[in-house]
Amino acid sequence: MREIVKLGVILLIICSIAALFLGLTYEFTIDQILAQRKAINEQARKEVLPEAQEFKPIDEDVLNKIISENDTIKEIYGGYKEGNIIGYAIKTAPQGYGGPVEVITGISKDGKISGVRIGNHLETPGLGANATNPSFYKQYHNKSIDKKLEVVKASPGENEIQALSGATITSDAVTDGVNYSIEAFKTITGK
Amino acid sequence: MKPFKALINGLFKENPVFIQLLGMCPTLAVTNSAINGMGMGLATTAVLLGSNTVIAVFRKFIPSKIRIPSFIVVIASFVTIVGLIMEGYFPALYKSLGLFIPLIVVNCLILARAEAFASKNRVISSVADGLGMGLGFTWALVLLGAVREFFGTGNIFGINLLGESFKPALIMILPPGAFLALGILLAIYNAIKIKKMAKA
Repeated sequence: MREIVKLGVILLIICSIAALFLGLTYEFTIDQILAQRKAINEQARKEVLPEAQEFKPIDEDVLNKIISENDTIKEIYGGYKEGNIIGYAIKTAPQGYGGPVEVITGISKDGKISGVRIGNHLETPGLGANATNPSFYKQYHNKSIDKKLEVVKASPGENEIQALSGATITSDAVTDGVNYSIEAFKTITGK
Repeated sequence: MKPFKALINGLFKENPVFIQLLGMCPTLAVTNSAINGMGMGLATTAVLLGSNTVIAVFRKFIPSKIRIPSFIVVIASFVTIVGLIMEGYFPALYKSLGLFIPLIVVNCLILARAEAFASKNRVISSVADGLGMGLGFTWALVLLGAVREFFGTGNIFGINLLGESFKPALIMILPPGAFLALGILLAIYNAIKIKKMAKA
């Protein structure tokens, strides 16, 4: 009996010390971590909507309504230039091969895709992870949002995207993310 | 055990992957490219160094009956701390290694070294053991990753070596390729070892 209590107390001490160090590390690093995450998101938004000087999140009620219709949509920011809105940067997380793929889509006010970037993902290196190469995501640039984008295996046409070889699921996921963003854009702008 | 001997031991004679067959789960899962193997290996080395040091320092304080839960607490704390610091202060490193950090907690190599070495040896030897085992793990993973990447995509470290005409065997970077490549490498490693022993 006495031994059990003694061992229990020692284990308690070890766990408390570990918890203390974890807590301190968390306290010490959390601001920096949040700042880093913010900077990464900010960077992606700037890349997909290069014209914009600053970004502001859109009205929360509108965002919640869009998310309630399609929960792959995560964040929507309006991009502003000299006080006027010039487009939106929309983050979606459609399901890929290895998990959700973060797709950040920029759509300019005149109804063109101004840029697409891939954020965090768990796709297979050498296959699906090739979606992060410019040669893939550049395909989306300047596409019109009038028609839904489709994935094809070869010789893409007007509103078509050529799939990554050996990674059709990832290509579909990214295209889904862009299509969802287009729908969200249309909901916001009422087009 | 002398520190230098402990260091060399982990690199070749008791290589965690090729001889001890420890940590097979991350070994098989992340080695679809050489750079991933290196990332996992180095992140594991960092945690192994930390956990071996702490456990060697407190080895007399930790009663043997509760050593396993104590080791797990130390290891899991170390992994979380390394992850948090990396995400906050080394974002570029976190971007490439972040994926592997949570996987390290379940790497039995770390618990095995705590149990088999750090809990019985002095601090300096334990640090050397952690470094040797970590680097032994790293080079094995880089080699495995490079072999799979080469046959699976024609690249090594993302650099194309075989040109466009090479038709890669995709299976090598998919999960079955991990077993194929590991099996063949194990056979080669042990063939060399047996040959050396026969000579000696």
